Amino acid sequence: MASLWSWFAAPYDAQFMRNAAVAATIVGVLAPAVGIWIVQRRLSYLGDATSHATLFGVAGAYLVGQSLAGGALAAGLVMGLLIAILNAHPRLAEDAIIGVVETAMFALGVILISRSDRIGVDLSHFLFGQIATVSNDDLRTNAILAVIALSLLFLFFRDLRASTFDPTHASLVGIRVGALRYALLALLSITIVVSLQTVGLLMSVAMLVTPASAARLASSTMTRMLFVAMGVGIASALGGLTLSYHLASPSGATIALVACGMLAVTFAVTVPVRLRRH
Amino acid sequence: MPTLTRAVALRLEDVGVRYGGFTALTGVSCSIGSGELVAVVGPNGAGKSTLFRAVAGLVPHSGTVAFGGEICHHRRGRMHAAFIPQRSDVNLDFPIRVAEVVMLGRRRFLRLGQRPRRIDRDAVSLALEQVNLADRRDRPLGSLSGGQIQRVFLARALAQEADVLLLDESLSGVDRPSTESLVTLFEELAAAGTTLLVSTHDLALARGRFARCLAINGRLVADGPPRACLSDRELEAVFGSTTGERAGERHIA
Repeated sequence: MASLWSWFAAPYDAQFMRNAAVAATIVGVLAPAVGIWIVQRRLSYLGDATSHATLFGVAGAYLVGQSLAGGALAAGLVMGLLIAILNAHPRLAEDAIIGVVETAMFALGVILISRSDRIGVDLSHFLFGQIATVSNDDLRTNAILAVIALSLLFLFFRDLRASTFDPTHASLVGIRVGALRYALLALLSITIVVSLQTVGLLMSVAMLVTPASAARLASSTMTRMLFVAMGVGIASALGGLTLSYHLASPSGATIALVACGMLAVTFAVTVPVRLRRH
Repeated sequence: MPTLTRAVALRLEDVGVRYGGFTALTGVSCSIGSGELVAVVGPNGAGKSTLFRAVAGLVPHSGTVAFGGEICHHRRGRMHAAFIPQRSDVNLDFPIRVAEVVMLGRRRFLRLGQRPRRIDRDAVSLALEQVNLADRRDRPLGSLSGGQIQRVFLARALAQEADVLLLDESLSGVDRPSTESLVTLFEELAAAGTTLLVSTHDLALARGRFARCLAINGRLVADGPPRACLSDRELEAVFGSTTGERAGERHIA
């Protein structure tokens, strides 16, 4: 038992790993709390595409010394506008449009970074995260963004549930269904920024979608799904970080794989229960 | 159906709906009394759902929609109406319990983020008792039968304290015994003063259980007791050829 504890505790002697653990925990709480709505609304592909398109916004903001969150929100807004404009043409399917806009903005981000002569800017930092470099200032910014996002999710919980389940009825009882959708997409952009250093843009969707999907297998209400998803998110983040230290593997990828492993275990445990019911 | 002895719950004047260049519905005028149970019949694409959506304020329309004499120009006034969707329009895999669905009807009485009050929980319990589902309140919605799910949506409409219930093909995919007991429930609700408009393909049911029928085919073709409304001549106007079948025996799939 003691050796298991020391296996878990050993990485956290160093300050940078303690910072990394806090950063990972913030992602482990926030991403699944947004992710349950992304999953239930079948927006996982849009979430994945938004994470890639965000490269343009965060790279641009970083290079001109502006806030990364602002850059990400601007990228999300530009993406939404471009999708809406292209969607007006009846011959273009929405998933194809999302794919086109995503790659265009991702490509612009790559070119922007490659042309930069700013020291220390590396494409891989954005794509795969750089959890060992999380500073106290980064932690403060991420914590503030997460508290704002979680407060909004808590305030709008019932309306999000109503409009996800039955948008027609929700609009009839006075809920602003369209505004809620845009608010959710804004929270998605904020979550991607908060995930940037921990898991990176490419794998931020893993923390959005995987814990929420595992939670769906084990939940019959949205409230329960929320708490199970956050539990899986925190366990994946801290478990993955610890494992990455011992295996000397990339932390973002390890965290994503631990989350997938937890989904696989939940699947294996819950499938027989579901089969027995049918 | 004359509604002289009843207060008017819903009045439509020259209501029409266009989708782009396509006219889905035109010139619908009628008056529905409080506590009336009305069948709305017509073939697929006749505009039954469009009519309900216009009444509920879910699609833009021309003409006038008035609830209890009050003309509605904006969405808020439409909370007097509850729209009960087809079962196929509802995501039955959504993780939500029966009582939570019914509580959604109370949102119009709550501020943003406000927790349901005692009066809201009582309204939910009462609505579930009215539809005989009090013992199912904690069950996941997806575990219920088709008829029970329609009862849950009726309970949500009752919790919403809507005066006019618009049931869009609510009886489709529901077995015969459940259909009969649902219509009995409609009759009980109507007797208690709720106005119900039920769109259906089942002409035999409309003839047997409803006192008034609106026949729709892009416009209001007939309005009156089903025996007059669903005569061969009227049916031909609504459905095209009747092929000599007796109206009451037809069941349009």
